[in-house]
Amino acid sequence: MFKKKVTFKILLLLIASDILETTVHFLFKKSTLGSSQGQVTDLATATAFLKVVFSSPFLWTGLLTVAAVFIVWSMVLSKIDLSVAVPIASFSYILVPLVSIIFLHEQITALRWLGVFFVLAGVILVSLSSKERAEQAK
Amino acid sequence: MKQGLLVVLSMIALTSLCDTINQLFLKSTIDSLNFTPSLNIIKILKFIFQLISKPRLWLGFSFSLISLCVWLVVLSKADLNFAFSADSMHYIFIALASRFVLKEKMGTWRWLGTGLIVVGIVFVSLS
Repeated sequence: MFKKKVTFKILLLLIASDILETTVHFLFKKSTLGSSQGQVTDLATATAFLKVVFSSPFLWTGLLTVAAVFIVWSMVLSKIDLSVAVPIASFSYILVPLVSIIFLHEQITALRWLGVFFVLAGVILVSLSSKERAEQAK
Repeated sequence: MKQGLLVVLSMIALTSLCDTINQLFLKSTIDSLNFTPSLNIIKILKFIFQLISKPRLWLGFSFSLISLCVWLVVLSKADLNFAFSADSMHYIFIALASRFVLKEKMGTWRWLGTGLIVVGIVFVSLS
């Protein structure tokens, strides 16, 4: 019942889910930056920290975005195989570091980029192997 | 950052572990419902209502709430780009849990992919 072919519409949805996913993590990070006392060392400072974070609009916007990702992702998976969708959606492994550099002024070394590409390759292999499984089962 | 690296990595491991437990509960709840994939909206809604009426699902969700709280603490301590890559260690936990808890079969490619993720996390952590 699933089509393997990625149409232009599905590709747009996948790019949207990448961007939304990256936005989620950016917003979560933003929500923790507001509380500059953020040095969590024990349970008491942790609860104080979480109180501040859970009152941040960034966090709630982030959680709403999680819901949006879920809807977009469900739409994608109703059209194509997971093993096709995940490799394309893994683009967020590149997008998150880029957003971190541009908007959060984080620094990324060459070794870290190398690590990112290993993780990305691993995720793609894991998702492709689900296709291999499904085909063996037929 | 260097001294706190181990603390941050263990906290990321904790969120990944909680996520994995949540996935296991979700999977076992869904399996118990015998749902066959369908595009019929009424069938899907009925399935979702059945799903949210299962206490096991909420047990799983409570783990994902813990995971969110720990994740926020992680983000307050570490760079986003590091945390995001390191969080892919949930692939390792999911692989182990699928193999040993759910007794699913794992192909060579999947182990290889999981291994690459491990190497990637090591590189990301070293830098």
